[in-house]
Amino acid sequence: MMFEIEIFTKKGFKNLRGEHILSDICGLSIENITRVEYSPLYVVDGDMSFSETEMIASEVLIDKITESYVIRQCDTECCSRVISESFDVKETDRLNLDFSVIEVWYKKGVTDTVSESVVKAVKDLGLIKEIKVKNGHKYYLYGEILQVTLNNVATRLLANTLIQEYKIH
Amino acid sequence: MKCTARCETIKILNLSDEELFELSRKNVLSMSLEEMRVIQNYFKKLKREPTDVEIETIAQTWSEHCKHKTLTGAVEYTEEKDGEKTKRTYNNLLGETIFKASVELDKPWCLSIFKDNAGIIEFDSENGVAFKVETHNHPSALEPYGGSATGVGGVIRDILGVGLGAKPLASTDVFCFGDPDIEISKVPEGVHHPKRIIKGVVSGVRDYGNRIGIPTVNGTVYFDDGYISNPLVYCGTMGIIPKNKIDKKIESGDLVLVVGGKTGRDGIHGATFSSIQLDKESDVSAVQIGNPIIEKKVLDTMIKARDLNLYRAVTDCGAGGLSSAVGELGEKTGAVVYLDKVPLKYNGLCPWEIWISEAQERMVFAVPPRNIEKIIEIFEKENVEAVCIGEFTDDKKLTLMYDNDIVASMDMEFLHNGVPKPIKSAFYKMKEEKVQKPVEMSSFEVSNSLNSLLADLNICSKEWIVRQYDHEVQGQTVIKPLQGNNIEISGPGDAAVIFPYTVVKGTKKGIVLSNGLNPQYGKINPYNMAASAIEESLRNAVAVGADIRRISILDNFCWGNPNHPEILGSLVQAMEACYDISKAFEVPFISGKDSLHNEYSINGKKYSIPSTLLISAMGIIENVENTVTMSLKKDGNKIFVLGITRNELGGSVFSKIRNIEGGIVPGVYHRESKDIMEKIYSAMSENLIEACHDCSEGGIVVAVSEMAFSANKGVKVDIDAIKIYSYLEERCRSGREMTPAEILFSESNGRFIVEVEPDNEEKFKKILDGSIFSEVGYVSDDKEVIFESKKNNVKIRQNSEILLNSWRNTINW
Repeated sequence: MMFEIEIFTKKGFKNLRGEHILSDICGLSIENITRVEYSPLYVVDGDMSFSETEMIASEVLIDKITESYVIRQCDTECCSRVISESFDVKETDRLNLDFSVIEVWYKKGVTDTVSESVVKAVKDLGLIKEIKVKNGHKYYLYGEILQVTLNNVATRLLANTLIQEYKIH
Repeated sequence: MKCTARCETIKILNLSDEELFELSRKNVLSMSLEEMRVIQNYFKKLKREPTDVEIETIAQTWSEHCKHKTLTGAVEYTEEKDGEKTKRTYNNLLGETIFKASVELDKPWCLSIFKDNAGIIEFDSENGVAFKVETHNHPSALEPYGGSATGVGGVIRDILGVGLGAKPLASTDVFCFGDPDIEISKVPEGVHHPKRIIKGVVSGVRDYGNRIGIPTVNGTVYFDDGYISNPLVYCGTMGIIPKNKIDKKIESGDLVLVVGGKTGRDGIHGATFSSIQLDKESDVSAVQIGNPIIEKKVLDTMIKARDLNLYRAVTDCGAGGLSSAVGELGEKTGAVVYLDKVPLKYNGLCPWEIWISEAQERMVFAVPPRNIEKIIEIFEKENVEAVCIGEFTDDKKLTLMYDNDIVASMDMEFLHNGVPKPIKSAFYKMKEEKVQKPVEMSSFEVSNSLNSLLADLNICSKEWIVRQYDHEVQGQTVIKPLQGNNIEISGPGDAAVIFPYTVVKGTKKGIVLSNGLNPQYGKINPYNMAASAIEESLRNAVAVGADIRRISILDNFCWGNPNHPEILGSLVQAMEACYDISKAFEVPFISGKDSLHNEYSINGKKYSIPSTLLISAMGIIENVENTVTMSLKKDGNKIFVLGITRNELGGSVFSKIRNIEGGIVPGVYHRESKDIMEKIYSAMSENLIEACHDCSEGGIVVAVSEMAFSANKGVKVDIDAIKIYSYLEERCRSGREMTPAEILFSESNGRFIVEVEPDNEEKFKKILDGSIFSEVGYVSDDKEVIFESKKNNVKIRQNSEILLNSWRNTINW
């Protein structure tokens, strides 16, 4: 099974990376973006059950005080169905807001040391299974933002297209 | 020779010159036509076509990055002065300048120079200290985070790979960037904005250095628009090594053990890539990503294995990967390597990719067969992968095997000494320097200029960067990068001091690290730029307590394309200055590195970076208790200016911000300044100096202000008491006295600002007897920084907190 784990900053805590990105966006004189939230993404591929993936998320990937997570099952190419939400994550919170999402992933073949560390940490947890992990970054950009602006932010700030690729949705 | 499907034969025997050159260009080999012809002839003699593995191996071994063909090659140099041309031919530019100075100085405390991965000088009777500074410019331009991180990782491995391995104690970093405030529309297409590069580079150095547990203690950041497309990233590491572990000795039959990270496609063509120019179509695979955790494990385990005498030689896999590492170790013996035994990150790599990949965190060892089990056990205990991939032979050949087929077989002699030495032309036309028109300014204007200078990118606080680094880990950093009364108030230290008491039990000695760099001078006078960089690095070291008689230096040249005679001409000038100043101060070079071809194209037009020489200095202090910081200590103490102030505003920060035309670039007057440096050491040994600060960018006014605001104190300086040189002196002849602004902002070399307690004044003056110095003022308790010239009716009065804010608010992201 392949799962995608998205890490959220809990309400009441600062999303520091998001704030830094917003400051960088302002530095580029790009307007209309009012807030940025950052979420790390992990795709775990291998012989893992849902509960084992939850254990990886809660024991390896999040800081339990400031962060929570969502696990989605990747059915085909894209991750679709939300099958788990740790408490107080409400994606529906964003429903009434204008926002865009930029996802950034390493290109194939680029050394991904964070993922290598996750694989090792999973073994240290006692889950002796062959798994592959991919590490990505998800940015929620709030405001009415033109596609050209999103592309600009992605290429100028969020993704180095030499080694990373990005998706806007 | 059989070739598998994974290994191709490259048909070159019958190629024309044009086809040979095209082959080099198409395969990113960075080889000249002459080199391609030599290869063609070699294989004609062997009566066979080469394999791709062989061609790639030769390209890597002969790359500018690995062989330094320009610096060690022949140069026909022409110099034009006052319309007259003189010529000189160098057979080996490096050998006849920098290396020659070190050979002639022949210091007995230089234990290993210019022959290993780092230079080593004596620390005490049992130990040496090794220092190496590398550049990682092109990778950092493409991927700032990964490029700078692997720059740090690479230079740490140089220290691990010197002798039988030194234990790294501290790192340094120096960066040159474009203006971080440049409008995005002015940044060339395909180039990252300077601010993005800065943030990425700083994060890379921070994450690698902090995670591996080596303090980053010294550095500098320089800004100039010439670095927008081609930033410079210098990374240095210093380590300690027992004297009996300095020599490598490989014997036939020793096994080739590769330790650490697995091999992937990372950094393919890094060595040849760094020898070509940057453009927006640069090669993706030249990017490397570092993993400090793996390197930390390699570091810890290999020091254990070293102390058990389990191996005879070690080196790092740097540019050129296994090809470079095994090739260098086996140069005198020969080696056979089974490429299919190399641990891979993923399948699908061709033999040549395995051989030249620059995947990080790998070291290569020469291990006697009897020790192989024991050494692998030590590595495996700490989850460090160690795999035997071949052995050193006695046939003086490099043989590479893949799936039982020979995929490369070449003579080591051809590989290492077959490269044709190019003869390059160099030309330099001496520029006339003239003293600028008198700089007449009101007190108000001087005051404003002081604030502008403190806020200038090249003087302002780099605290935003420095505080991201762990400069304390290992607990041995005695003199730190930021100095002052408390965390909230600090000024820029001149140099760092490491007290290696955890490695050398019972020692009182310390190791000083400092640097000098000023590319702005080089735009006018490359000779004096190089001379000033050396002197600045020495002044910085001496200012914290180093003994000038025990300082060694390293050179790092980053230049444009040396195929342009004018650019190579300025390099010759700088290298001649290195020889002269090294000899004059009796300070030997122990190691160095060059990064040439720092050229980039925008819309088809080529641009070179400003010629940039970084000098890094490493010195030994007998007693770390005698070290001194730069912040003022006590109200009522006396302030002295040591050294003489000349009318030297050429290339100064003041000239830049005031758009002053002309000006003389600061020269180096070695007799005066060496004498002062020796006397400062004597005074510090007797604890007669409370604070000491090097006087460089921004001049006396900036140096004194930094000392005051870092202590939250005031200071009063009498401008008329500052010793200035006669206006009749030949080089700075102007036929007039210096104005107060010129005195305050001149960047003359050889000067220090020193604080002395009144009780020690007599003893201090006695030591300085015969040198040029003067008492110019005192420390006050009112937080007012005052510079006054009654003669010229000028008085500058500034609150030290305001000055501090000017200094620290420019880079505060």
